[in-house]
Amino acid sequence: MKKEKITLAITIAISCIALAFVMCMQFKIVNETDITSIETMRSTELQTELANWKSKYQEIEKEYDEVNSKINEYKTNSQENVQNGELLKKELEQVDMSLGKTDVQGQGIIITLRENGDETMKKITADDLLLIVNSLKLAGAEAISVNDERIINMTDIVNIADSFVKINGQRILPPYVIKVIGNQSYLESGLMGNGGQVDTLQKNGQDVSVEKVNKIKINKYSKDITYKYMN
Amino acid sequence: MNKKLISLCLGLMCMALTFGICVQIKTVNNSNSKISQNYEENQLRAEVLKYKEKYDNKFRDLENAEKTLEKERENVTANNEELTKVEENIKKGNKVIGLTEVTGQGVTITLNDSQNLSKVLNISDAVVHDVDVLAVINELKNAGAEAISINDQRLVPTTGIICGGNVIDVNGEKVGAPFIIKAIGLPEQLAALERPGGYLNLLKEKYSIVAELKREKSVTIPKFNGVINYKYVQNAK
Repeated sequence: MKKEKITLAITIAISCIALAFVMCMQFKIVNETDITSIETMRSTELQTELANWKSKYQEIEKEYDEVNSKINEYKTNSQENVQNGELLKKELEQVDMSLGKTDVQGQGIIITLRENGDETMKKITADDLLLIVNSLKLAGAEAISVNDERIINMTDIVNIADSFVKINGQRILPPYVIKVIGNQSYLESGLMGNGGQVDTLQKNGQDVSVEKVNKIKINKYSKDITYKYMN
Repeated sequence: MNKKLISLCLGLMCMALTFGICVQIKTVNNSNSKISQNYEENQLRAEVLKYKEKYDNKFRDLENAEKTLEKERENVTANNEELTKVEENIKKGNKVIGLTEVTGQGVTITLNDSQNLSKVLNISDAVVHDVDVLAVINELKNAGAEAISINDQRLVPTTGIICGGNVIDVNGEKVGAPFIIKAIGLPEQLAALERPGGYLNLLKEKYSIVAELKREKSVTIPKFNGVINYKYVQNAK
């Protein structure tokens, strides 16, 4: 009888230990499994990253081919100055366009910001314009001007004593008309989407309108582009 | 009586154990799929790295090709004054756009998240935001900066800056704090950013963000590491 009892007690103890062990393992694995949700998120992120690099690679490949074809052209007509001159001028034209030294045209949008004379309303400031220009660039803008001041690589947009805005050192006054060339729907959705710059201004009661235009002309930067300190 | 109780007890224990094992098996099955997911992810990661490497290689090729092109241009313009001028203008233009590496005197500005969290009420105030970087860049341009980079990402005419979680996105590439902004220009003029009431000062005083400006005899700013693509714009005739 006593012997039987001891055996029983031992059996129960062993099964208890086994149970505890299994539970421990269980907890550990469940803990690990929780990470899975993060890992899946990462994998979608990786997918966008991959798409991003793929398109960048394609772009650079295209550019590489273009540069090579230019080299070949220079090489093949090295004797003929006229053709090379033309080729050079074409290249310069491209550079000047990128600089903002030429009048350009293309499809895009025109944004108009009006001040409605209401004294209680916050004025449209240089910061608003700066943020709009930045989000336009993010949306793939290829050329931008504000009140016909072309935005170039060195352009600054500042407030002067809270009374007016200066762009490229040039004083500009409302209404502000921003002309942009680029993909119309990208440009528009970047500004008008929830939390976009135009959306925010409109919610604050500002008078802002956006118009799609199929052919916009943007004037060149009117001054010389110079530098002194770069080598 | 006693025997019955004991066998009941054992039976219950066995059931619990079986239940535990069942759950166990199910979880293990799930984690098997996790392993396959890991595998897939690693595959993806490898693919991304492969493309990045391919891109870097192509970029190096492109750099060499551009050098050859420049030489070729010099060759064909060697004996022609008018064309030499055109060639020089191309070179100058590329510097301004950001398509060539440049050096010169200037400043470096370091922006870093606040190291002293006890001073700030809102944690968001302790972090450097995209708008902060944008404002500093704008002030630099106002002070006459000729070339600017953020963590070695050169600013080109199409560069946009946006917040992307705990990093910011410059030229579509993620850069994180600390932000090292390099600018070429007259150091005395660029140092005006440190003025009381300026943006750097505001960041330092109000948000205790690290904002240091250092004048430099020589800074090197790399070229843009991408391609500027124009699809919609063309020169007006």
